[in-house]
Amino acid sequence: MIEVVSGGLYTSMQDLGRYGYRRYGVPLSGAMDSYSARLANQLIGNFEGEALMEITHIGPVLRFKNSTEIAITGAGFVPTLNDVEVSLNTRTYVPKDGILKFGLPGYGLRAYLSVLGGFNSEKKLGSYSQYFGITKKETIEKGDSFVLKPHKGKPHTATASFKVSKNHFSSNSIDVFAGPEFRLVSKSIQKKILETELTIGSESNRMAYILKGWDGVSAQEIITAPVQPGTVQLTPSGQCLVLMRDAQTTGGYARILQLTESSINSISQKRAGTVLHFKLIDYPS
Amino acid sequence: MNLEPTYQHFGENGVLINWSSKIDSLINDEVLNMDRLISKTFESRIIELVPSYQSLAVYLKEGESASNFIQLLKELPVSETIGSQNTKRLLTIPVCYDLQYALDIEALALANKITVKKVIELHTRETYKVYFLGFLPGFPYLGGLNKSLSTPRKSTPRQNIEKGSVAIGGGQTGIYTVDSPGGWNVIGKSPIDFFSTESRFRCLLKPGDLVRFNSISTKTYKRIKTEVVAGTFKVEKEAYYD
Repeated sequence: MIEVVSGGLYTSMQDLGRYGYRRYGVPLSGAMDSYSARLANQLIGNFEGEALMEITHIGPVLRFKNSTEIAITGAGFVPTLNDVEVSLNTRTYVPKDGILKFGLPGYGLRAYLSVLGGFNSEKKLGSYSQYFGITKKETIEKGDSFVLKPHKGKPHTATASFKVSKNHFSSNSIDVFAGPEFRLVSKSIQKKILETELTIGSESNRMAYILKGWDGVSAQEIITAPVQPGTVQLTPSGQCLVLMRDAQTTGGYARILQLTESSINSISQKRAGTVLHFKLIDYPS
Repeated sequence: MNLEPTYQHFGENGVLINWSSKIDSLINDEVLNMDRLISKTFESRIIELVPSYQSLAVYLKEGESASNFIQLLKELPVSETIGSQNTKRLLTIPVCYDLQYALDIEALALANKITVKKVIELHTRETYKVYFLGFLPGFPYLGGLNKSLSTPRKSTPRQNIEKGSVAIGGGQTGIYTVDSPGGWNVIGKSPIDFFSTESRFRCLLKPGDLVRFNSISTKTYKRIKTEVVAGTFKVEKEAYYD
């Protein structure tokens, strides 16, 4: 069992998302950086969509009541296990009564913690991802505890570690496709959208990132229509929203651009104040 | 009216099908027909579909090519995609318009220069269509609100609107299916459950359903609430041919 000694800033249970219920208005949810989440489970030999903890900016403190193995991926935290530094992107043995601390990340924003077998957290509508109104709890808090599930995955390889490209965290160029309403705005606005540097606003969260810098750019509302993670909305008042994993399933703002899956993962690791720009790419023919 | 859709990419694994840009029940019927046809014909290729007023998102499984899928859609026989008739369900939703639940009904009546009694009469008189679900888990986008009830959203949204609340926002009426912050004007409350994941997944309303509201007393509200908790309440449903 794992006990949560302190919850950190925003720690939640996630997997790769709650598929099959969007037509009922249930958001997809799932790990913001799905690349790092898959990696954490692969390193430990779990199924890649196994439940794992998403840790945001200020990490939690966890006490392990049983010995197990863990993997930590994503943002550049310097976690310690019984006050000894733990490497990222590899498998680590945790002894009984081990205390795992995360502190703050040197780069990036979100880390993923997988455990051998996975966390036995509440599963609703086929997913472990915590979401208001679907699961009983929205976040992981002090006092929560999780039983570990028996390991059913592949047997381990001897040296499972992985070198993650720094580009995943440092690149400020975000690949986007044209959104459904991109061609409906004027050429001069299209040009401005693709050439302006944008700054991530502090109100950004798992539902949406708010980007600032598109002065004098706006678009009319549309008839409410489907949206998905990575949809970039432009509002009549000129606000730019990048919808993230907990976004609604439909929306009424112009869908100007659409991030690639890899761009969603990359932007998920960026903090408020980061400057970025969009780079338009074509859909494969 | 042009009922031929257009197709476009929507993210790496998505296809968006669009009809004319208007809110119209006939167009929405085409969206829902296509929704059924695609889920039946291409079950093995898709994860899920999300219909809306005049648009349908198809989310494909990893590894499927959206370009190929668009080609397959264009090759669907037109006779199967346009104008097929379907039986709809008509559901009668009990709503208590008593002031203790209808937090904004007096203000809404005043703003529209009609009596509270008239608000209830106009709201219960119409038959509404569920165009699709969105915004909140199970939340129905309903078409058919009487124009005299159209009322702007509140300038300051409420922190919490209780589930079951029936409300008007602009020219639309809807039901808060789960507790949520919200800016619509609350004119009543239904004692029934619209969305639940408690013991099993339940979502009462489906796109294409027809809905009528039936005014009930506080006493009836409480009785139905007890029956809903006990699991003995049955919503009135009947087949409807249009």
